[in-house]
Amino acid sequence: MTVTTASSRIRQGARPAGSGGGRRPRRRRSTLIGLAFAAPFIVGFLFLFAYPIAASAYYSFTDFNLFQSPEWVGLDNYVQMFNDGVFWKSLANTAVLTVFGVPLSIGIALAGAHLLNTPVRGQPLYRALVYLPSIVPVVVGGYLWRWMLNAEYGFVNFFLSWFGIEGPAWLQNPDFTKPSIIFLSLWTVGGTMIIYLAALQEVPKELYEAAELDGAGIWRRFTNVTWPTVSPVTLFQVIVSIIGFLQIFAQPYIMAQERLNQASSGPGQSMLSYAMYLYQNAFVFLKMGYASAMAWTLFLVTLAVSLIVLATSKKWVHDGSD
Amino acid sequence: MQLQQHKTRRVLIAGALTAATVAGLAGCAGGGTGADGKTEITFSYLWGGAEAEALEQIIADFNESQDEIVVKGVSSPDQQKQLTSMSSSSGSFDISDNFGNNVGAWASKGVLAPLDGAIAAEGIDVDDFIPSAMDQMSYDGTTYALPIAIHSFQLLYNKTLLDEAGITPPTTMDELAAAAQKLTVVDSGKITQLGLGSANDSTTLTTLGFAFGGAWDGEDGPTPADAGNLEALDWYQENIVEPVGADALSTFVSGQGEYLSAQDPFFSGKVAMIIDGEWRAASAGKVAPELDWGVTAIPAASPDLENSTQVTASTLFIPANSKHKDEAAEFLAYLVSEEPMEKFSLALGNLPARVSLTGSDAYADLENFGVWAEAATSPNAQSLASAPYSAEYAADLKTAFDEVVRLTSTPEDAIATVESRMANYSQK
Repeated sequence: MTVTTASSRIRQGARPAGSGGGRRPRRRRSTLIGLAFAAPFIVGFLFLFAYPIAASAYYSFTDFNLFQSPEWVGLDNYVQMFNDGVFWKSLANTAVLTVFGVPLSIGIALAGAHLLNTPVRGQPLYRALVYLPSIVPVVVGGYLWRWMLNAEYGFVNFFLSWFGIEGPAWLQNPDFTKPSIIFLSLWTVGGTMIIYLAALQEVPKELYEAAELDGAGIWRRFTNVTWPTVSPVTLFQVIVSIIGFLQIFAQPYIMAQERLNQASSGPGQSMLSYAMYLYQNAFVFLKMGYASAMAWTLFLVTLAVSLIVLATSKKWVHDGSD
Repeated sequence: MQLQQHKTRRVLIAGALTAATVAGLAGCAGGGTGADGKTEITFSYLWGGAEAEALEQIIADFNESQDEIVVKGVSSPDQQKQLTSMSSSSGSFDISDNFGNNVGAWASKGVLAPLDGAIAAEGIDVDDFIPSAMDQMSYDGTTYALPIAIHSFQLLYNKTLLDEAGITPPTTMDELAAAAQKLTVVDSGKITQLGLGSANDSTTLTTLGFAFGGAWDGEDGPTPADAGNLEALDWYQENIVEPVGADALSTFVSGQGEYLSAQDPFFSGKVAMIIDGEWRAASAGKVAPELDWGVTAIPAASPDLENSTQVTASTLFIPANSKHKDEAAEFLAYLVSEEPMEKFSLALGNLPARVSLTGSDAYADLENFGVWAEAATSPNAQSLASAPYSAEYAADLKTAFDEVVRLTSTPEDAIATVESRMANYSQK
């Protein structure tokens, strides 16, 4: 409102003084001012996004070690990738993390949002508590969980021992390393939960009341009232979570890390995520060309998966028109 | 008129913002000439905490002795930052540190300044440096780095546990195998005490490879399938892992406390023997002063292999994009001269890189330190090659060793996988 008033005042004030310049020069000047103010973003975008994207596409067809001029090798990097056992291992690890991690994070967030939406005493406190881990830096959380998952001294196994369960060697046994990483990822599910909570609060109470009068049970109320409202949010969360898990780096990197600046991948390479192997190629092995090819492959995989999810969404996302 | 001024001011503000953004993005090159006429050089080091404090003291000593150069120390424990700085035409530092195994990879890419001229100009006596460490400092016949501290690996043992078991420190591989088995205690399928532990499987197994007469690199590149290496891996699998089982061992390892903390399994008495480096002497004094421990040479597989050990080195280098190479070389010469080197290595509990300092009384307070120092100068002290492919090779060996320790592969099969990957290693 203020903006409109101010701009109209400028327009009014400019009219009498505008004898020297017609409408066109004034418009051009305004365009220039606008561009000048947008320049920091435009420059930032060109240097920090557009150029690196174009450069990485070029590097993916070269042998480039970061320091010497790239040497064109055509499709060699892509061919090597398909013959690289570690590449496939990292892709398989990432797929497992995504397939289990995404539904779990969505499910827990949705269930948790329902709990947080229950009118109980101390509700704001619970909401703050579930969100709290999201503001803890992932590196700090990672080291905390490394300690929590220690087979001898860790709290997780100590907690399990209360129920007579002997906890596993979480970070040494390849069967348990991926659940450990998913654990660490789910630890910050509070953010998703809060978004769901906002969506749940959008559901008109009258609809629940009407459904209840019609004799609808909890499940019926969820499928017929809640789900249509939260399904667009779910679509967004599913895509964001898939992208997040396909690019997962910090959690497995910290869990697997033994020494600084060394390529670690956990027992049986079970913690080597795609992004970790990409990073190792780029900054540990200095194979920037190969890493760029991996980055573009990941982009295409992510795009394909996202498009598949979007294509299926017509069947399960309610856009409010029906 | 007023409006015109407004507009001009707005354009100026926007222009200034853009300029600031661009300047911020471009970053600023380090070093230059200060107001007092001294040339400022930047020493970016990976160390932090107590080590960084010791280093800052050495920098202050140097600055005090100088009329022409002033060194600015920056603690930056981020190797990625180090690399990106070296990839631009003008870097952010004039001297930095890393480890010996990176010298070949970086020198081959032209990012390290050759030092032979500076070594001659500054009169640095390289013959006084530990030979196995110097092996890693050159690439293609040219020296690109100098070691400031070195590390050697020896067999540490818990005197109390050995005495209780009636065992004397082993001197042969057979004795080591027997001691490891006798000192391992298993209770209801769970290891409560391990005979021979490993601080890091990769280092332990590459060191054992040397102790069995193996070699990990040859003239033409990696030699993972060398007979001595395979013998070492077979010995480890057969005598250390198989008697307790891979699952029990991994459970034990997963329950280990943090490395070098009071809960470190060697310091807490849960591991009776371990192959590790000289920094243990300094940390034992801090976190386990009550522990009665000793250190001895790694048992030799045959008499001619006595005092076999692996040497690694902390190195100093000048990046090729430094604008003040001569001044950086002068400071480098100071850092590797006897007094600063002694002060520095002592602060870290590391071995000095100079042979002439290995017997210095300054290290007398560090318990058992002499054994490591002696091993470092042994003719059987070896180091892994520093080549363009070193990082990839180390990662593949690590995967192979993991399979050997988890009994999912025989040493022969695990090493065959490494060999199959060697064709794609960086050659430049």
